[in-house]
Amino acid sequence: MRLRKLTLRHFRNAGFAALEFTGRQHFLVGANGQGKTNLLEAAGLVTALRSFRTTENKLLVGHGQHCAALAYVIEHERQGETHVTLKLRHDGKELWCDQARVTKLAEHLGKFPTVVFSSQDLQLVRGSPAQRRRWLDLTLAAMDAGYLRALQTATRALAERNALLKSGRASAAELGAFEQTLAPAAAELIARRGAGLKTLEKSMQAAYAQIADAAEPASLVYEPNFAEASAEALLARLESGRARDQQFRTTLTGPHRDDFHFTVKHTAAKDFASEGQQRSLVLALRIAQAAWFHEKSGVRPVLLADDVLGELDPARRARFWSALDPEAQIIATGTHLPAAELGAWQVFEVADGVFAEKEAVS
Amino acid sequence: MTPAFEKLQQHLKQLPGLGYRSSERIALHLLVEKPARLASLVSALEAAAAAVRRCDRCGNLAEGPLCGICADERRDRGLVCVVEHVPDLVAIERSGAFRGTYHVLHGKLSPIHGVGPGDLNVAALRGRIEAGEVGELILALPNDVEGEATCHYLTEHLAGAGELKTTRIGFGLPSGGGVLYADSVTLKSALEGRRGYH
Ligand SMILES: [Zn+2]
Repeated sequence: MRLRKLTLRHFRNAGFAALEFTGRQHFLVGANGQGKTNLLEAAGLVTALRSFRTTENKLLVGHGQHCAALAYVIEHERQGETHVTLKLRHDGKELWCDQARVTKLAEHLGKFPTVVFSSQDLQLVRGSPAQRRRWLDLTLAAMDAGYLRALQTATRALAERNALLKSGRASAAELGAFEQTLAPAAAELIARRGAGLKTLEKSMQAAYAQIADAAEPASLVYEPNFAEASAEALLARLESGRARDQQFRTTLTGPHRDDFHFTVKHTAAKDFASEGQQRSLVLALRIAQAAWFHEKSGVRPVLLADDVLGELDPARRARFWSALDPEAQIIATGTHLPAAELGAWQVFEVADGVFAEKEAVS
Repeated sequence: MTPAFEKLQQHLKQLPGLGYRSSERIALHLLVEKPARLASLVSALEAAAAAVRRCDRCGNLAEGPLCGICADERRDRGLVCVVEHVPDLVAIERSGAFRGTYHVLHGKLSPIHGVGPGDLNVAALRGRIEAGEVGELILALPNDVEGEATCHYLTEHLAGAGELKTTRIGFGLPSGGGVLYADSVTLKSALEGRRGYH
């Protein structure tokens, strides 16, 4: 897909902005804190209505406003020209697609894929398991309604079981009732995460080899908390773990405690890889995510690169560039214009939430 | 507005489905526009509050010990359809597809909301099963996590012991919704196509 027009109203520091995108490569240039990333964030919201920077809606709504509105005009492989409108309030969201109100997230997910490359992505290597799980869930759920359903069921059933454990007066009968709802959904998550990470690993390895330009094998390793993707086995484990869970007042077994990690040359990247290697790993992972979206949906994702070019040395930057899908639309930000070898760009100068188009450089 | 008016409006606003605007409209309507309606409304409220209670057998609304359905000799008492709330019962009745009786739980298990088995109308159902009057239990509870968990609880801790036939409807219903949101045709086919549970 290609984003052709993006209009923001009361979104973060932008009172009003309307950008028309021509061509395939667009660059937002300006000092830090002027609102470049806000625009990428707005563009990325169309995919799953989630920001890559925050889980709090109210941070997205301009100061003193109660509603932010985003309007997208998209050139879409399957649907032709499509108009999407998203309204954000402090306590909720409303979505329209070609003037029709969309009320189920499942109907929207996967239709408008974008992939964000950001310096915060290093947290996928260095950060907490919860950050990696969130990324994995968003990636898999975006293209798989079955995964989303299993995730919602497992999350809710787990919350109910934990509420029961916290109450301190959980009966075996009630625990059992929620375990039987939890176990099949959780087993499905384990199976789909295992398969999904295998597919993602394949394209990540290819991209990493290109970016790192060295004969160092990289891998993506799933670490399930409970490795058997079987509802019966998980149910038995939950049952036998009741006494311990009651003592800790929370559920200690299940995919809500899953993790995955990266390796380079067969050792854990978190502890042993250089910063350059870690950066290459997450760039490769994002490229794999884009390939996954494209393969699953038949729609080519828009790539949103938030200040990542400036952080790479020239050789790595050129190799990263050649690893990207040459047909994909790219919206990138930076404090300086990119080097000439990265092609022609449509340029917008960004200052204090205002976007001004400059004549294209070549 | 006066203090008494505001107090009335506050009470109305606490009713389900009423916001600030609609509670204001109702209060104005009753006090200013059509004050003649007020007396009959008050007496209807008092009469209903005095007369309406829960059916001893099934938990449905009743004006005596038994509701109209339980008192009807032509209904099949061996066939019991378990629902979450009274409006679910009303929706199934409206479909005309069911000739058995009901059991209204008045809720579903939800530890998050502090609802346990003791808060549901489960003891009366246990009594009906132990008295041997139930041949088949149809679980018409919502498709969501709490509805499913309540089904598991009921089948294992009430129906599990005997040779009671247990079936589940709700699979064909819109995901996450209950019987209340299904139309009559959908309900009818769900009832006819109910499947064995466990
Ligand atoms: Zn009754």
